[in-house]
Amino acid sequence: MNPVITGLGVITPIGNDAATAGASLREGRHGLVPVEFLGNPGLPVKVAGTVKGFQVDSPNWRDWSWPAAYPFPKDVLRGLAPHGLYALCAVEQALARAGLRPADVADDPGTGLYCASAGSAMLLHHNLAQMRAVGGVRGNPLGVVSSIAGTLNFNLAAHYRITGTVCGFVSACASSSHALGYAIDDLRLGRIKRAIVVGAEELNADSLLPFAHMRALSRQSDPRLASRPFDAGRDGFVGGGGGAALILEVPATAAGRGAPALAEAAGWGQSADGHSVAAPHPEGTGLLLAMERALADARIGAADIGHVSAHATSTPAGDRAEAVALGRLFAGRGLRPPVTATKALTGHGLSLSGVLQAAFGVLSLTGGFVPGNPHLVLPGPECEGLELPRAALVRSPGRILSNSSGFGGSNVCHVIVPAGSFTG
Amino acid sequence: MSPVPKPNSALARFPAEVLEAYQRYRTKGDPVAVQEVVIAAVVDYCPARGGPLPAVTDESRLVEDLAYDSVSVAELVFFLEDLFDLTISNDDLLKVRSIGELRACVIRNLATKTPAA
Repeated sequence: MNPVITGLGVITPIGNDAATAGASLREGRHGLVPVEFLGNPGLPVKVAGTVKGFQVDSPNWRDWSWPAAYPFPKDVLRGLAPHGLYALCAVEQALARAGLRPADVADDPGTGLYCASAGSAMLLHHNLAQMRAVGGVRGNPLGVVSSIAGTLNFNLAAHYRITGTVCGFVSACASSSHALGYAIDDLRLGRIKRAIVVGAEELNADSLLPFAHMRALSRQSDPRLASRPFDAGRDGFVGGGGGAALILEVPATAAGRGAPALAEAAGWGQSADGHSVAAPHPEGTGLLLAMERALADARIGAADIGHVSAHATSTPAGDRAEAVALGRLFAGRGLRPPVTATKALTGHGLSLSGVLQAAFGVLSLTGGFVPGNPHLVLPGPECEGLELPRAALVRSPGRILSNSSGFGGSNVCHVIVPAGSFTG
Repeated sequence: MSPVPKPNSALARFPAEVLEAYQRYRTKGDPVAVQEVVIAAVVDYCPARGGPLPAVTDESRLVEDLAYDSVSVAELVFFLEDLFDLTISNDDLLKVRSIGELRACVIRNLATKTPAA
């Protein structure tokens, strides 16, 4: 039996709760603002998807400020990276939406935690510089747990006293889609009854500028021109920060406590390009296979998909590969499900991307709309045959196919369907 | 990216009298001043949740009275080491249970180095 999604929480550039983010998606309201890093106005990175209401630029959590609705104690905050704070806030929202208290998941062998983040380059840099400055004789004792790629698992598992499963995923921009996929598998296999799936990334000079050095970021200063997935004039992605969390449960567990299902995780698939350390396969062959595997896992066909939530980040090569893959799966069969790239509004949250798209899919299902592509002016020639609505469509998205791709050629796709339409 | 903080900036969040005490140690090597800084740091790094802390005295025990765990002990020691530019060995640390013992440990280690000007 497929798991159901009973809770979600989001901290995003377009809103710090589900209702606000959902309204932004529906209205095509972006969260990209002018930025300057390292006090250098000459850098070619002009806009980013910042998280509003949080001030987490300092490497010391004692300098941070964040919404008063999240009064985490000192012994929780001390081990967090900036994105750990986003993640905790998102999980608090998700638990509340699912009708769960933290005590309900604590010490419960049936609850698992599946996390994804790249760690905190800022804290790694700061802590190691501090260590080197004193010849290596001392360093921040919480430097490791606050900064390496497992930081979300470490901190969230301890805070929520997770005892079922605790694991992390590092497949770059496919990471949280992997986390979601393996959570679904563990639920289907009966290993656990409830999963908390979390992705988060912080946004600062250390997290973002290395992508400028790969020539992967947009150089535009106008947000609408900077993040315009599938547009012929796109020139790179815009960075974004935030956190997203989903609560998944086996249907009997959710029903047993009277928790309404928001959506069903109907299937997932993955593949790899076997092509490049960073660039996607130009024909999108890996992504096509992952989409086909996701559909097969959900026991549906391409014709059953009502909406595609594209990974599209606004890079020339990435969007092209995805457009080609979508063309082969859908347009080549005369199918035209609306394709949406929500990174036009949020920027690209890297590891966060997959679970955030899944959360947006749930918001689309519960809100009865298909997000639009408000920054798209002239689709690239590779998009021929794709349905790319500019404004949101006011109708149920139906069955959603949500894509993620990451460095090394990882591709992960999920099928998320309306609650009550069990396919598994 | 913030620069690595200098010792004084590490005290920026503390009351002015703690900063003054630290300066008194730096200029005069005053051991009483060290005590004031150590107690302020103990209070600041205490992980206890809710309610005011019990009065922190020389007899207060880090773990039993102030709810310190091994992580917060490590944080506190790192802060003091960095602030006073000293190294507290594991052997020394294992003998520390009370605030008075911690203060004595810091002062003992400070005595082995030349006070900063």
